[in-house]
Amino acid sequence: MRRRFGRRTRQAAPSDGGRRIVIVGSPNVGKSLIFTRLTGAYAVVSNYPGTTVEVFRGWAHVGGERYEVIDTPGMYSLLPVSEEELVARRILLSDRPDAVLHVADAKNLERMLLLTLQLIEARLPVILVLNIIDEAERLGMAIDVPRLERELRAPVCATDATTGRGVDALRGRIEEYVSRARMGRH
Amino acid sequence: MYHVPGWDAIEASLDRIESLLARPYGMSGRAVALLLLQGDDEIAGIVGAAEPEALEKIRPIVAEAQARYDDPLPYIIAVRRQEEASRITRAVLSRGAAPRVGFAERLSRIMMNPLTGIPLVLLILYLGLYKFVGGFGAGVLVDLVEDAVFVRRVNPWTAALAERLLPWESARALIAGDYGIVTLGVRYAVAIILPIVATFFIAFAVIEDSGYLPRLAMLIDRLFKAIGLTGRAVIPMVLGLGCDTMATLVTRTLPTVRERLISTILLALAIPCSAQLGVILSLLDGHPLGLWVWVGVMGGVFILVGALSSRVLPGEAPSFYMEIPPLRLPRPANVLIKTYSRVRWYFLEIFPVFILASVVIWAGQMTGLFDRGVALLRHPVRWIGLPDDAAVAFLFGFFRRDYGAAGLFDIKRAGLLTGRQIVVACTTLALFLPCVAQFLITVRERGLRTAVALSAFVFVFSFSVGFLLNKVLVFWAVPL
Amino acid sequence: MKISERAEEILETLWVRSEEKAEQVGLGVARGNPEVEELVKAGLATVRGDRIALTERGRAEGEKVTRRHRLAERFLSDLLHVKERLVHPVGCRFEHLLVEGIEDNICALLGHPRTCPHGRPIPEGECCRRFREGAGKGVMALAAMEAGQGGRVAYIQTRDRSRLQKIMAMGVLPGMPITLIQTFPSYVFQVGQSQFAVDERLAEGIIVRTAAR
Ligand SMILES: Nc1nc2c(ncn2[C@@H]2O[C@H](COP(=O)(O)OP(=O)(O)O)[C@@H](O)[C@H]2O)c(=O)[nH]1
Ligand SMILES: [Mg+2]
Ligand SMILES: [Zn+2]
Repeated sequence: MRRRFGRRTRQAAPSDGGRRIVIVGSPNVGKSLIFTRLTGAYAVVSNYPGTTVEVFRGWAHVGGERYEVIDTPGMYSLLPVSEEELVARRILLSDRPDAVLHVADAKNLERMLLLTLQLIEARLPVILVLNIIDEAERLGMAIDVPRLERELRAPVCATDATTGRGVDALRGRIEEYVSRARMGRH
Repeated sequence: MYHVPGWDAIEASLDRIESLLARPYGMSGRAVALLLLQGDDEIAGIVGAAEPEALEKIRPIVAEAQARYDDPLPYIIAVRRQEEASRITRAVLSRGAAPRVGFAERLSRIMMNPLTGIPLVLLILYLGLYKFVGGFGAGVLVDLVEDAVFVRRVNPWTAALAERLLPWESARALIAGDYGIVTLGVRYAVAIILPIVATFFIAFAVIEDSGYLPRLAMLIDRLFKAIGLTGRAVIPMVLGLGCDTMATLVTRTLPTVRERLISTILLALAIPCSAQLGVILSLLDGHPLGLWVWVGVMGGVFILVGALSSRVLPGEAPSFYMEIPPLRLPRPANVLIKTYSRVRWYFLEIFPVFILASVVIWAGQMTGLFDRGVALLRHPVRWIGLPDDAAVAFLFGFFRRDYGAAGLFDIKRAGLLTGRQIVVACTTLALFLPCVAQFLITVRERGLRTAVALSAFVFVFSFSVGFLLNKVLVFWAVPL
Repeated sequence: MKISERAEEILETLWVRSEEKAEQVGLGVARGNPEVEELVKAGLATVRGDRIALTERGRAEGEKVTRRHRLAERFLSDLLHVKERLVHPVGCRFEHLLVEGIEDNICALLGHPRTCPHGRPIPEGECCRRFREGAGKGVMALAAMEAGQGGRVAYIQTRDRSRLQKIMAMGVLPGMPITLIQTFPSYVFQVGQSQFAVDERLAEGIIVRTAAR
């Protein structure tokens, strides 16, 4: 039963045949800045929650392939409270992403994992991006990334989107992840 | 650390729901089952459309599961997840010594403490809005662009060029006449509006990126509750001081329809946009008392109309919650790119309106309709104690409020307005109809009926306030 | 009067079905059961035709038994971390050891919980009422705390779903460390490393087990 749903999200190609990355996460964790880092296109970045009203789409080249990247409004959980959260969830469920980047605020790991767990539970192809890692480090926090990957059974990357640190590694993880998913399918 | 209540029973319900689902929904059956169990209406709708029989069988399972618990199921499910998240966090996170309370945190507390925070709001308004946008943008920059570029160069060139190339008087008027496309449309857009709006968006981007707005929201929440809003609405309101059209679009982020409607009304009526503010501030330049009267009336209208609409409109009082992000130093590159993208959006939105307005006014003049409109508007204009010439400015105001205000500018320069008349005119125009772009966005966001009703109300209301204000000022013989 | 453990179990079942679920309870196979006889003899229940109903005293006694059972379950799961699957059967045996008086001590020790581990309500005891009236220590609403005070979230208390969801969206869930920073004009608190501002109504729904100061 579960397998049928899980397979479908990876297997069925997007309607236009292109590859897609959807960026999700709570408000104000740097989703738009990660979007800009990946695509070079601009999405409004602000230091307050609820900035991205509209959905931004751009293109990114990762490992020689072209991806459509979608920046969504903030969502705290898969169960929506607000209009924006509904918008974000609709994209997540209808756009059949090849990778879902869950951008999280690294210094608030405990709170952020609630959504990661839901995305994993939904069998979406999640990559956890521990963004704002600079502030976490300044607070004296250290996160054992390999251990976290084992716990979640999903790839995890630490980034500082303001400087771009970790973004190349993130591209690497996306490439690895998508090609492994493709291998698994054939 | 916290034991989740009765998870076994929930697991059993989930398994039953999952086994009833046969269709794919873009996520695992378990996730769909969890959402159904948590009473998600949208997912229930989708499942109901795809396999109605399954949904019929699922409903009683959900009801039965909920009946067994005192707390709502979403809570129980969240607590369960939290336990897992805490476990993982304990396994992977190590903390060093907690750093001392830093400068940013101390500044943050100063901003949020009402004793220090309220003076700070006023200081930021004064520096950001009055000094930077009003003084620098609407003063220095406008003078520079208007004088150096238009009055000295573009206008004479266009006139000369039109003279040489266009043999018809009417065509010359369209391009280079008093209300011509270049002399009026392009000049207003580029020389007056652009510098004001650009400086506002710079100031707004700096404030926004510093993380100040959520702190302002928490300070003002109690006041906004009185007008049916929450602190969250402070963001569209402050943005409205830049561009009401853009702000009307942003009201979408407010959680309830009622809040969106109330803030749309307030934006249309009582929040002057930066273009307008710039022109109004320079109109009131040299009338300090007039400025205070104007601020007082606008503030009074804001609170009065807000309080009234929150009484009249049905709906529950909203609750306020907002994340307070850390204060951060704005990154200049982001401030610039954001300002650029907003100014560009603004220009694409308004530039056509300006050109169109010039064409409409030109056509109106040609056909005599314009004069008739002016004649018609003379009555309400006299009624609020203004000279007939001001009717032209109000007619322009139909296209854009700031356009109207800019029209007053010319009349004031010609020395045709007394201090009292300036204050009354500024107030009435500031309250006057939303601009065409804002009207269109209101139609899109709130529907045609609401938009038309709102505009009619605003029209009547603005002249009534102007009338009253004039009477009061005359009666008390306020020396303006 | 002291009734047997089995009779207590039946009394509890009867109370749950007739009081909590408002069902009419048929006698069915239990007819002639010695424990039913025992309840009737003790004046706690009456049998009329095929129906069995609780008397006034039976209702009061049934509520107490239920309260003891659910408190016992709470105790086992919260403090002893007994596995879920075992909570119910062990709880059934344990409840009979809780006599009146001790029961309220355990209730206080657990912070006067409102529900058992299965989410069903625990009937209030005298201690809970006293606690609610402000004599209680240990847990309090965020709205009642002083700036600078901290602790861990104990539970969320609100019947309003949208308010509950807002509180949950902030990551305010049992066990999370929380500190109140400011109380006026809005409540500002820190949970984990994030700060939030909420109004009084939301702050009333967040119940915190305050740290000893
Ligand atoms: N220090 C730091 N700040 C960041 C980082 N990523 C984003 N930000 C800041 O966080 C704020 C929110 O970013 P934004 O991209 O708008 O978040 P979104 O709401 O998730 O789209 C902005 O002020 C960013 O400059 C990061 O890695 N480190
Ligand atoms: Mg964003
Ligand atoms: Zn108690």
